[in-house]
Amino acid sequence: MEKEKKSEETGKPSDSENPLKVNRRHFFSQLSVGIGSLALGSLLIPDLLKGKGDELLGQELGIPNFAPKAKRIIYLFQSGAPSQLESFDYKPTLDKRQGEDLPESIRNGQRLTGMTSGQSKFPLMPSAVKFNQYGESGAWVSDFFPHIAKVADELCFVKSMHTEAINHDPAITFFQTGSQQSGRPSMGSWMSYGLGSENKNLPSFVVLTSRGKGNSQGLYSKLWSSGFLDSKHQGVLLRSGKDPVLYLNDPDGLSRSDKRHLLDKVSSLNKIHHVETGDDEIESRIAQYEMAYRMQMSVPDVMDIKKEPESIIKLYGEDCQVPGTYAANALQARRLAESGVRFIQLYHQGWDQHGGLPHEMAGQAKDVDQASAALILDLKQRGMLEDTLVVWGGEFGRTNYCQGKFDLKNYGRDHHPRAFSIWMAGGGIKPGITYGKTDEFGYNVVENPVHVNDFHATLMHAMGINHEELTYKYQGRRFRLTDVAGNVVKDILT
Amino acid sequence: MKYNTNIKPWVGYLILGLTVFLIFCLIFESSIQLPNLIAWLGRWHPLVLHFPIVLLLVAIFLGLTNNKIPKLLLVVATLSALVTAISGFMLAVDATEKGELLILHQRLGSAVAFLAVLWYLLVTLNLARTILIKVLQLVLGIVIFFAGHYGGMVTHGEDFLALPTIGKKSLIIPENPLIYAHIVQPILDDKCISCHNGNKKKGELLLTNFKEIKKGGENGEIIDETNYKNSTILKLVHLPLDDENHMPPEGKPQLSTSEIQILERWIALGANDTLQLSHLNSDETLVGLVRKLQQPTIQKDWSNLPEVDDEVVNKSNSNYVNIARFANQSKALNVIVFKSPTYSDSIFMDLEPIAKNIVQLDLSALPLGEQAVSFIAKCVNLEWLEVDKTPFTDEHLESLKGLKKLEIIKAYDTEITDKSLVVFKNFKNLKKMYVAQTSITATALDAFKKEHQNIGVDAGINPSLETFFVVKEKDTVVVKDEK
Repeated sequence: MEKEKKSEETGKPSDSENPLKVNRRHFFSQLSVGIGSLALGSLLIPDLLKGKGDELLGQELGIPNFAPKAKRIIYLFQSGAPSQLESFDYKPTLDKRQGEDLPESIRNGQRLTGMTSGQSKFPLMPSAVKFNQYGESGAWVSDFFPHIAKVADELCFVKSMHTEAINHDPAITFFQTGSQQSGRPSMGSWMSYGLGSENKNLPSFVVLTSRGKGNSQGLYSKLWSSGFLDSKHQGVLLRSGKDPVLYLNDPDGLSRSDKRHLLDKVSSLNKIHHVETGDDEIESRIAQYEMAYRMQMSVPDVMDIKKEPESIIKLYGEDCQVPGTYAANALQARRLAESGVRFIQLYHQGWDQHGGLPHEMAGQAKDVDQASAALILDLKQRGMLEDTLVVWGGEFGRTNYCQGKFDLKNYGRDHHPRAFSIWMAGGGIKPGITYGKTDEFGYNVVENPVHVNDFHATLMHAMGINHEELTYKYQGRRFRLTDVAGNVVKDILT
Repeated sequence: MKYNTNIKPWVGYLILGLTVFLIFCLIFESSIQLPNLIAWLGRWHPLVLHFPIVLLLVAIFLGLTNNKIPKLLLVVATLSALVTAISGFMLAVDATEKGELLILHQRLGSAVAFLAVLWYLLVTLNLARTILIKVLQLVLGIVIFFAGHYGGMVTHGEDFLALPTIGKKSLIIPENPLIYAHIVQPILDDKCISCHNGNKKKGELLLTNFKEIKKGGENGEIIDETNYKNSTILKLVHLPLDDENHMPPEGKPQLSTSEIQILERWIALGANDTLQLSHLNSDETLVGLVRKLQQPTIQKDWSNLPEVDDEVVNKSNSNYVNIARFANQSKALNVIVFKSPTYSDSIFMDLEPIAKNIVQLDLSALPLGEQAVSFIAKCVNLEWLEVDKTPFTDEHLESLKGLKKLEIIKAYDTEITDKSLVVFKNFKNLKKMYVAQTSITATALDAFKKEHQNIGVDAGINPSLETFFVVKEKDTVVVKDEK
């Protein structure tokens, strides 16, 4: 009814031109109603038409497969790949055998990047920073991370991560989308697609970036792209300046009700176009305009850290008052989590220490150490660690041998995909444990390897999703975040 | 009641002949060797069996409703019953070993044929007293039902007619399962034994137990321990679906990729019945496959909650109220309310119909009033309550005393005081309480903690830890001294 009225007003294609008001796409969209009612039947008797998990066919789930432990994820991504050997993977053997060439039996054919493949020697390089054990769990943490060390008993260190890629772009793309080639949906988009949003006034997937002084690698919006999923699942990048979202305020002279009228009118025009073309992206766009309208109200509220008490500011560090810093983003992450954002992705750039590692990494660690640990404490005191999963880590590890000149106080480490460390906390992850082990050189995983696909499967499991069942059919086949691999790492789940 | 009598006399002899033949077959069953062609006739049994069922039931229906039964109908029905019984007998001889089901089916099937013949005789000899015939018809109907039912079970598997179970059959796999008994056999049970069981032993192959699996079928062993890729069972499941020899046959439920992998790895590892998960290296594919099967058992049992319609759930969902089922088909709901610009406690009126289904309720940062709190009190199945950053008071908590299932209460930054501690004691299932930034005093809390060590009390960040974070005396980076 309403559509017809609208078309009168706008003088759009009249009934006489197209008496049935049907074009090819429209016909098919109508046809889908018939198919839809069949689908409804299968909803009433859920397994009625069930073949082999093929029933999703790109339709939205909106519900988890089983009761989740985590309702949201805060992913503190350390872009550039922090060295495991100066953070959490303590290897005294490197001290004892410093300068010795990496044994061929350990390297075992591992390919190298162009940056060190020309080196004639691969001298083992010890950590320039001391390690100590902390907490009841006795976790090893380097002196670069004194605050994280204090919360070690809340964390689950995974020291046996491994990946397939050896360069930043494919590796980070692999971590975020499950594929080294770009184009697949990001992890946050999959979660949004699978679980829907908690708070309909905010995007379900938000991205915040910050940059340290260390050697940085680029970040691209493809990392939070929704790929072939509906674009409403795309990550929304909040700007790191003082206005996290631009044009939040209406221009002078435009009242809120004028804005409403404007949106209604635009939406009615868009709907006409949708009837003509049947393009689903138009509906997404209409929904996004509405979301933006509601975000005008919700975002200022969420982003305004002036309401935070002094004690919280001090906890995260004074830096958190400076927009665009990692500390500020960490505090925002907590506020976004409180407001029902499902997936909050932070990126901190500058961890690519091919040279000058001790100095650069000290600076990087200082950027993130206190705020990361503060986030854990803050979430914990609010009871949010019960259902919020926090992840800290980069895209791969770094070599145990020196890149460039051998200098114990000023050295570099190249990319290393075979073994690296990350930590997780909260949301169904066992606290105070260390999982997996590398050899004495910190080069190969010798116990409980966790592949990137396994990591994805585990995160999804915590969120109540069976990673094998969340699929989307595109270009003739079903895709999933873990594609054809991935095992849930049950041992680290509560 | 009058029957048509213009039936040729040879028909009577035919019926008599077939009856005698059937009796003969049954008596001398064990010593009969059938020529191939005759045996082949037995294969028609599944086709012809439909005739006596339908025709006899029609005749019975007419009889029981006091209608005239055409003599021709009765004759054809009786003949078809005899032919079916005989063909069934031939089919059974073709099979080697008879299971209980098959024997039962055979007896009942023969009974159908004999009862039909008896009925025909009574009618033909005009001995039909109404009451006798009626009893006969009734008995015949019942026998047909059971004969057909057991026959169906022989063909389609015993649980073919079992009611569909809602959701997946939950097989409980122990922490350290036996690969054969807990993993492999259930797959065979699920996908193979409907044709390879004692009643229906296709290809002379039984897949019901370990001994029989090892023994193999008419084409020899199905498992080759020396070269697993050579195992007949794997070859057959790997054939393309449209291949005649593909197993399970087209149209039957197929093995999934991971089920095939499990079979393959089990055979590759020697196909024995003693292998356990803990014997395997962690990089063995089978470990991952088994772990996957063991997975999600997180689902709590919320089956006692009342049913709740999707329609009701969706109706109450809005931009500021998010209601979601805990999981697929779960009756338990998770409700989050966000503060809208026009918030008032009245929104909870809409939620009353689902109050008993709410298991988790997040009301963080709302300006809660009395109406909201009295709504919470109605959520009797509540396990998880978030009222942090709200004007929640001791009186409010007191009024929630009836919520016996509460496990987690987040009351961070609320107005509760020491008085509330008495109420917290009342929640027998309480596991965690978050009471930082409230007016509860440290001394009272310490006493409470001592008394209730099973309750996790979080009163905020440890002061000494906080000092470490807040006081900035240090530039913490310590690079090691010269070595």
